Amino acid sequence: MSFLVLDHLQKSFGTTKVVHDFNLHIEKGEFISFLGPSGCGKTTVLRMVAGFESPSEGRIVIDGQDVTGLRPNQRQIGMVFQAYALFPNLTVAENVGFGLKVAGVPRSERSGRVTEMLELIGLPDLGQRYPWQLSGGQQQRVALARALAPRPRVLLLDEPLSALDAKIRVSLRNQIREIQRQLGITTIFVTHDQEEALSISDRIVVMHRGVADQTGTPRQIYNQPATDFVAGFVGTLNRFESEVLDAASGRVRVAGTEFSLNRPLQSGKVTLAARPEGLTLADHGIAAEVVGAEFLGSVQRVRARVDGSEIVLDRFNAPSVALPEAGEIIHISPEGSNWLVLATDA
Amino acid sequence: MRKFWSWGAIIIGALYFLLPLIGTLEFSLRMRRGEYSLDAYRSVLADPNFRATFGYSVGMALATIVLGVLIVVPTAYWVRLRLPRLRPVIEFITLLPLVIPAIVVVFGYIRLYNTSSILPLTGTASGTNLLLLCGYATLALPYMYRAVDTGLSTLDVRTLTEAAQSLGAGWVRIIGNLILPNVLGAVMSGAFLSFAIVIGEFTMAALLNRPAFGPYMQLLGANRAYEPAALAVIAFAATWGCMGLMQLISRIAGVRKTAK
Amino acid sequence: MSRFGWNWLGVVPFFAFAALFLMLPTMNIVIGAFQNPEGHFTLANLAGLSSPRIVSSFAISIKISLASAILGCLIGFAIAAAVVMGGLPGWVRGPLMTFSGVASNFAGVPLAFAFIATLGRVGLVTMLLRQWFGINIYAMGFNLLSFWGLTLTYLFFQIPLMILIITPALEGLKREWREAAEVLGASTGQYWRMVALPILFPSLLGTFALLFANSFGAVATAYALTGSSLSIVPIMLFAQIRGDVLQDPHLGYAMAFGMIVITGLANLAYVIMRSRAERWMR
Repeated sequence: MSFLVLDHLQKSFGTTKVVHDFNLHIEKGEFISFLGPSGCGKTTVLRMVAGFESPSEGRIVIDGQDVTGLRPNQRQIGMVFQAYALFPNLTVAENVGFGLKVAGVPRSERSGRVTEMLELIGLPDLGQRYPWQLSGGQQQRVALARALAPRPRVLLLDEPLSALDAKIRVSLRNQIREIQRQLGITTIFVTHDQEEALSISDRIVVMHRGVADQTGTPRQIYNQPATDFVAGFVGTLNRFESEVLDAASGRVRVAGTEFSLNRPLQSGKVTLAARPEGLTLADHGIAAEVVGAEFLGSVQRVRARVDGSEIVLDRFNAPSVALPEAGEIIHISPEGSNWLVLATDA
Repeated sequence: MRKFWSWGAIIIGALYFLLPLIGTLEFSLRMRRGEYSLDAYRSVLADPNFRATFGYSVGMALATIVLGVLIVVPTAYWVRLRLPRLRPVIEFITLLPLVIPAIVVVFGYIRLYNTSSILPLTGTASGTNLLLLCGYATLALPYMYRAVDTGLSTLDVRTLTEAAQSLGAGWVRIIGNLILPNVLGAVMSGAFLSFAIVIGEFTMAALLNRPAFGPYMQLLGANRAYEPAALAVIAFAATWGCMGLMQLISRIAGVRKTAK
Repeated sequence: MSRFGWNWLGVVPFFAFAALFLMLPTMNIVIGAFQNPEGHFTLANLAGLSSPRIVSSFAISIKISLASAILGCLIGFAIAAAVVMGGLPGWVRGPLMTFSGVASNFAGVPLAFAFIATLGRVGLVTMLLRQWFGINIYAMGFNLLSFWGLTLTYLFFQIPLMILIITPALEGLKREWREAAEVLGASTGQYWRMVALPILFPSLLGTFALLFANSFGAVATAYALTGSSLSIVPIMLFAQIRGDVLQDPHLGYAMAFGMIVITGLANLAYVIMRSRAERWMR
């Protein structure tokens, strides 16, 4: 049995159902992200794990123990909140030691653990400061130390980076991941930022309207999106309407160009999709008219129009590769590109 | 369980607050033996002293509001604009009337402005009226200052002022045409509070011997049985009216502000 | 520097007003408390305060103010807490706040009338208790013109004042603080003791000081309620100013000075405690 099991969780507020039948098995030490737009139910699932909301149906099992009916203070869980939820009347050290104090850990043992945690987050000298004297990034690190100090079984992170500015966000997320690896603590991270989720997770659960659309490694989520929603929400996606000419061999026509995907398709029309970096240019292929091009250093980003709809493609920069000009006709190689066939949402 | 205790607290609280009001209302209707009547109200309203003292206190209240606005608005504005370091001092002074009992302040007036002093305000009726007015403005100071300062805090005073100055406006025009209209909602709520305080004020008026509504009520209470209850109902309704208008106006002002 | 010099002019009217009608009169009383009729320095007036009549009037005044401030804080807090975090429907809040605004200003003479009409010898509640339950509260020793009667009356404006001030403070407690405490293993009691109450402490203490001063200086309610039958300090001072009942005008100054000292001490305690709490406040 997995370390943390979310078994057929459901949650309704009044008559609105915000989480439908949510199932997830998390292994010990895994770093899982819940990714989705606001209102998709990801925070509700997290709050059910923490014990702030009780599920309408289903159960939550941690390390073989059914915790569904336990109060938050009986679950041995650590949590970091979105806004700085540090206690303003306590010093940094007192904040970090709070969980130990309420558990009745003697003072001497407590101060040792607090020092250890402050060193872990790289703020060993700030123990006597008050929260308002810290920057946002420092406050969130202290919040992390506070959550970890009582040695929780599971760590929950509720959009802990969203209130910080971009640069700190990146460095702090790396630090969080490093600490998580070091301690080997099972972690759930809630975010609406796909880049965040892709960069630090072992596995990602993409949520949409209270349902887990897809669960998989970041590479799986990005390269093989299971639903149209996942494909569109994670990364940039170019869509091509295509006509299936031969369902068995996967022969299609896109903007007047015929080519084969070499896999069986359903007949009629399908939507093909490709990431900007998955499209390759060639001398022949799908014709596209360049709308504009941006030079981004290592990458050239070309915007072009195919059949009236705009697409984006990225290619690596090299001294010999010139930026295409607006109005120029370029060709997208059907064979050299990585095509996704989107399942049409009913 | 928590809900049970919450409702319990509310219901006991409501009983405590409603019973005196119901009791007063019931008592005020008991003047005619054996049946409820409005006799007490009729008797009160027909009393020329009622009209005279009530009119005096309304006039005093309005004058207090004007004086309060004249003192508080320019000061609060100026301190925010030019002397922010003075703010704690001003705030401290405006809170003093909540700490120093009114009876002590008025005792000081009697001592300081008596007929044998340099400024013998208590020597004449108009002088005493002026003194009472200043006393009322002092009592209202904490409420007025708070309200106006809160109102100013929602404005960018500095930018507004600089914009007006760059268009050639003078100080009187800036305060009168720019700042005052923008804090009108706050001023009004301070004004209604002042009104509620002044209209029934007893201590200062009684000790300065002015024919105000508060001493009249006290005198009536000492001599009559049912009329005081009727007066209490009227006073409560008046207070309620003041507060209701205050909320209404601050809500309208709030709506206007968010709509901007 | 010269600009700064001119800036002072803008606050001159305020300071002049405050000096003439607040500071100087108060100072005058304070100085008068230390002067004999000939204008020489003396401590005799303060010594005069130790007469049993005055001491007992201070004692009962302090008792009433403490009782009405403590009860006002506790009950007001309970009601505010019930509304903010007791799971009550949202519509309760608006009417409660409006009512509190009205009731906290419904003090003075009319309030006394209201309580006489309710709990006086022929008041509604007194009569109903006797008719319905056969309870004669006056036979049981209750008297509106007593310590408990006055405290009960003062609570009518003390409780709403507490509600008005403490409700925003309670709403300022972030949900995350409670949740963070809970998930760290704290019980509800531990959360209140270690987090919520320390955060609320400055507002609680400030309100307490305000409520204390509020009832300590109240003249009108007590005077209209009891005439001069209950010798609380403000009533005695009132009578003294009117008719010099103490046969010594300077004893009046000493009494007024005593009042300032006591309300001042209450607020000083608040200021000190607050500055301690300021370490963690912005």
